[in-house]
Amino acid sequence: MGSYILRRLFHMAITLFAMITLMFFLFRLLPGDPTATVISPALDADARAAMQARFGLDRPLIEQYFVYLGNLARLDFGLSFRTSRPVWELIELRLVNTLLLILPSMIAAYVIGAFGGALMAWYRGGRAEGSLVLAATALQSAPVFWLGMLAILVFSIWLNWFPTGHIVTPGRFPDPTWRMYLTLDFLHHLALPFFVNTLYNLCFPLLLMRSTMLSTIGEDYVELARMKGLRERQVLYGHAMRNSLLPLATTLPMILGWSVAGSVVIETVFSWPGLGLLMIEGITRSDYPVVQGAFLLIAVLTIVGTFVADLLYGLLDPRIVYR
Amino acid sequence: MSAPILEIDGLDLGYATRTGTAAALRDVSLSVAPGESVGIVGESGCGKSTLLKAVMGVMPPNAAIERGAIRFRGTDLVAAGPDAWRRVRWSGIAMIAQSALNALNPVKRVSAQISEAIRAHADWPRDKIRARIQELFQMVGVDPARIDDFPHQFSGGMRQRVLIAMALALRPPVLLADEPTTALDVIVQDQIFRSLRQLQTELGFAKLLVTHDLGLVIENCERIVVMYGGMIVEAGPTAQVIAAPAHPYTLGLYNALPRLGAAVEPISIPGRPPDLIAPPPGCRFAPRCPFAQDRCRTDPPMRVLGPGHHARCHRSDEMDALRPAALRPETWERDDALANESNPDTNERT
Ligand SMILES: Nc1ncnc2c1ncn2[C@@H]1O[C@H](COP(=O)(O)OP(=O)(O)O)[C@@H](O)[C@H]1O
Ligand code: SF4
Ligand SMILES: [Mg+2]
Repeated sequence: MGSYILRRLFHMAITLFAMITLMFFLFRLLPGDPTATVISPALDADARAAMQARFGLDRPLIEQYFVYLGNLARLDFGLSFRTSRPVWELIELRLVNTLLLILPSMIAAYVIGAFGGALMAWYRGGRAEGSLVLAATALQSAPVFWLGMLAILVFSIWLNWFPTGHIVTPGRFPDPTWRMYLTLDFLHHLALPFFVNTLYNLCFPLLLMRSTMLSTIGEDYVELARMKGLRERQVLYGHAMRNSLLPLATTLPMILGWSVAGSVVIETVFSWPGLGLLMIEGITRSDYPVVQGAFLLIAVLTIVGTFVADLLYGLLDPRIVYR
Repeated sequence: MSAPILEIDGLDLGYATRTGTAAALRDVSLSVAPGESVGIVGESGCGKSTLLKAVMGVMPPNAAIERGAIRFRGTDLVAAGPDAWRRVRWSGIAMIAQSALNALNPVKRVSAQISEAIRAHADWPRDKIRARIQELFQMVGVDPARIDDFPHQFSGGMRQRVLIAMALALRPPVLLADEPTTALDVIVQDQIFRSLRQLQTELGFAKLLVTHDLGLVIENCERIVVMYGGMIVEAGPTAQVIAAPAHPYTLGLYNALPRLGAAVEPISIPGRPPDLIAPPPGCRFAPRCPFAQDRCRTDPPMRVLGPGHHARCHRSDEMDALRPAALRPETWERDDALANESNPDTNERT
């Protein structure tokens, strides 16, 4: 198992490296001169050259690449074209914001989905179960931005229970600090996007768990568990649900990737200052270092998530051979 | 004869299906004395597994016991309710499941799967449970060092032994076995049955073996119960039933046995098992029976032929005269016309 983890770590490193390299060249190949937005074309050639030198844009591509790699290793994502501040400074809190929204929401979605789906299959055949399946299927095919706007319309505008967006009341913390996460105001702002994201991401694990359970319930080992005189509760949780978790666990990496990428939409709808929104802002302002940094972190999150989910799956299923 | 440890009395069980209720068990009565070996034999679909599941009280949700009693040590489990029934499972009546590969939970250690069975019935300390599991492995001939392995780490035969160990965990007085060796090759099958017989001598449990293989029953059981289409058609001491089968279906099964050194090919019974939703009127075997007569359209009585030997056939008292004909393959072929007339489903048969 130890060497398996090492090997997986090595694979992860290769994936990361390939992704970082690809991204560097992709961004250089994009049309449009990124320096145009900050370096006024009205400047004379000398001033322009000085600016380019300041951002290192005058050197050969391959040299820029090695500088870029070296900087990344020191978490130095370069300077924002727009604000001239280090990108990492911009990203740091945005990353925390995204994680605070997405992680608890995904955990909630998977936990509720797993138990809900298991119970739906266990007590199958009722009318309540039928309507739940229908509702989940419908919800799953609804676009998440539409759900978000609907939630804002109902809960913020009509009922006035929750704010329409932002992470804290604007103006309350002129400079974002760690302390804002410790306020009720933050939780109040978190509630609606958390709810929408959880509800949306709940459907997939719920339906998958239900259909997996329906076939697991008919397995011989579930029948044997019952024959052994175990209580129904033990048969349900210890055998039927325990084994139905496996297919659900294989979907975790994929879903994690989706949900981080999907955070762009949720963050935009709720003006949630996370990585996704930062990336959108960067794109509209051609602030390439910022976009690249946000993009990179989203990719890293996905890759690390896949790695963790892989290990988790290995723990859940002893038949996996660690090779 | 001592009081039966397990007694099934007039059991009717139906499966609710889209097209109606399938009468999977009809008037099934049978009793098992302590320490005895009884073999239930019949072709696939005749209701053997259904009967064992009913005894264990783990029927699928669409099954319903419509009538009858299942008595363990004199207590009717059907009437006693689910919780009393649950407590008898495994501690009173344990079962060796049909497929060792699917019956063990693939993601749990074997020791955990045995210990949860013990803990469901007894409040033993951990050490005692582990010692017991090791002892069980020793008994069935598996290395006790392997109790913490996962099911996939064992070979097919070993897994079957693990299942036997699991069944014996609480020293149940009754052991059910549902085709315990179908997935195994003949040599391993032989070994398993040999150690089962040995364990039975040592531990004294009663054994109810279910199989489609008459040969296995002859080898392993003192008494034979023959099932056809959800009903018991013949039952009796093995020696008597083999010497003088009193039901044409038993004769057919006997003819189908491959015999070492015999010049004749085994004869198989043409036709299909009856439709359980709309069974043929009267004798359920009539559409396939070479000796069927008009009166076979009425329910045949259970006739007593000797001590403990009875058969459900109108003509069982003439069987001595009919048996020679049953040994000839033409007898079974000739009646296609009748079979087709009574059971249009079998028309495409060649
Ligand atoms: N859950 C069920 N619903 C409906 N019919 C069933 C069900 N289980 C078994 N049966 C039917 O009951 C009959 C007996 O099945 P089974 O007891 O498994 O036979 P055996 O074990 O002798 O092969 C078969 O005709 C089978 O199709
Ligand atoms: S009752 Fe009639 S049809 Fe049924 S087995 Fe006997 S002879 Fe054959
Ligand atoms: Mg069966």
